[in-house]
Amino acid sequence: MTAPVLGKLLQQNKVIVCCGAGGVGKTTTAASLAVGAARLGRRVLVLTIDPSRRLAETLGVSRNPREPVPLPKDRQQAAGIKLPGRLDAWMLDAKLVADESVRRFAGSEERAKPILANRVYQQATTMLAGLHEYAAMKALHGFITGGAYDLVVLDTPPSRNALDFLDAPTRLAGFLDGAIFRMFLPSKSGLIGRAGSRLISKVLGLVFGDEFASELSAFFESFAGLFASLNADLIDVRARLMQPDTAFLLVSTPSEAAVAEAHFFHQRILQLGLPFRGFVLNRSQAGMTRKLFPDHALLPADASPALSSALEKLKWLARAEQLQVARDRGLLADLALRGGKEAFALALPNLPAGANDISTLISIADLVIAERRSGPR
Amino acid sequence: MKDWLDKRLVLITGKGGVGRSTLTAALAHAAQRAGKRVLLTEVADGGDDYSPLAQRFGLNQLPRKAASIAPGITGSQLLSDTGIELFFVSVLRSALLARTALGFEPLRRLFSAAPSLREMGTFFHLLTYLRAEQSPGHPLYELILVDMPATGHTLALTGLPDVVLRLVTRGPIADGLREGQSYLHDPLRTAAYVVTLPETLPISEALELLDGLETTRVPRGGVIVNRMPVERFSADETAALEGFLEHQPLFGAEAFSRIKDSRRAVERLRQLTSRPVSELPDFEESGEALIEKLAGALQ
Repeated sequence: MTAPVLGKLLQQNKVIVCCGAGGVGKTTTAASLAVGAARLGRRVLVLTIDPSRRLAETLGVSRNPREPVPLPKDRQQAAGIKLPGRLDAWMLDAKLVADESVRRFAGSEERAKPILANRVYQQATTMLAGLHEYAAMKALHGFITGGAYDLVVLDTPPSRNALDFLDAPTRLAGFLDGAIFRMFLPSKSGLIGRAGSRLISKVLGLVFGDEFASELSAFFESFAGLFASLNADLIDVRARLMQPDTAFLLVSTPSEAAVAEAHFFHQRILQLGLPFRGFVLNRSQAGMTRKLFPDHALLPADASPALSSALEKLKWLARAEQLQVARDRGLLADLALRGGKEAFALALPNLPAGANDISTLISIADLVIAERRSGPR
Repeated sequence: MKDWLDKRLVLITGKGGVGRSTLTAALAHAAQRAGKRVLLTEVADGGDDYSPLAQRFGLNQLPRKAASIAPGITGSQLLSDTGIELFFVSVLRSALLARTALGFEPLRRLFSAAPSLREMGTFFHLLTYLRAEQSPGHPLYELILVDMPATGHTLALTGLPDVVLRLVTRGPIADGLREGQSYLHDPLRTAAYVVTLPETLPISEALELLDGLETTRVPRGGVIVNRMPVERFSADETAALEGFLEHQPLFGAEAFSRIKDSRRAVERLRQLTSRPVSELPDFEESGEALIEKLAGALQ
């Protein structure tokens, strides 16, 4: 048996990234791991990008705070988090991060104003492909290098391709690459550069109309320097995510489709050379304690006919449930095998209440910490 | 769920894990059986993305251009690059000129990253399929099904024309977007359905998505509640069994309480939306057999 991978993660890692398809319980898993690590005395930040803003409700923090918010005192207590341990949460607001970057870059509110007022910029912050992902990386960079936290848990954006958050900023970065980018600026030097710029403004003018094309140029012009500085951060954070004290986890449910998708993502993570450290099988029956099978011998002698016939029908559901338990256990064993000894495979139960209160998070954190002590099964 | 077969464009939305892709595949089969020339599409980015929908047809991905994927069913990815190219060809009126412009690296990179352009390309690709005619007045694809991406991306796509039209008021892009809107906002031709599960959280998200669709002015066909547990117990049996299970944890108890929880969750949904709500039973089958069952239920 290998050393408990999950325990080491919670105790020593600097970054944990939770990936997975939409709807598998990523956010809840991320929050529970964060509660677990904070309980071990670490200063933890959980960062979510989920546009449905679920984590905010789960952790009881208000919507759209400008900076991370500590978990309310009573809940820290209920969760068994004691100093120096602490848990902060933040919902990533792409626009907020972008505006903040503009202000810092501009140096003064006065110089920031025309940029913030550019119509292309205003739409870009809601529509720019990869902007959420870009903002996530940018914020992650700030928090990792800031020193206020021992561990940052990142809940990745919901996306058909759960690893989009790694690719999308690259797409943006590809465009923002200095040499390419300058082509879109009113050119002052170089014959080729000028020819390129002329072709570009002609095409943009034809396609968008001259009015918008010139606004687009203004946008590129005021952003040239800012994008360059964002790019440097992006390269930093990508390098950071390759380090061994970063852990990529894959969250899945036992459904056929979700598992097939998890296998796909697992391969993708390995191909990208990212440190994969574990599977979390959510809403699984694998850990179900032994229960009795419904049997008429269990009924009291004076059982009503309704109870008796209900029990007969329950048998059908019970058989399905038993099958499910066996299937989920097999699935967990298979994930453990695929992950290898560097990774863990943890089953978490189906939580009836929709997993949106602190006690649910605490009960999952309990399971996680129990797993830490016993090591992977 | 009715009327959907009379539309030109049916958008299937809903968060991951609710069975959206299986359901979309089943809708395609149901439409084909009803005698429609059906085109099944999903938004893709041209990479080797995992496609649950294509898996339902034994493929890794849907074809990049419309091609048969099952008897009587045509499939295609909706690709930003393809849409932009088709658009350029129509604007510059020359395939050669379009390819030259798009072969120019800086422009290529702009189109893969710049504000709204990716969504715009996707949108134009869809528009070319809507425009395609078999013969004058007869559309090549009578019904186009779109398996929409995750919530945020769905609304980025449906909200795109309004956003871009605020910026670009004249010219070929504006014309194209207005033409697209004439489909997208027309309740006679378009319906968006939100797929969800009979559970509290997915239903809350479905309600949010319905609001988002209304904001982007897309006609909402309704909500489809997938995997509704089958009610097997009479009221008397339920009451008796509930009392008994309180003291005696048994196998099957979870599935039993899910029946009631689901019923409650759907009641709440019906109270909170004025749109039609339809339920699909939790079939035991999986894979192709499940698609078969769902297609039958949808017809």
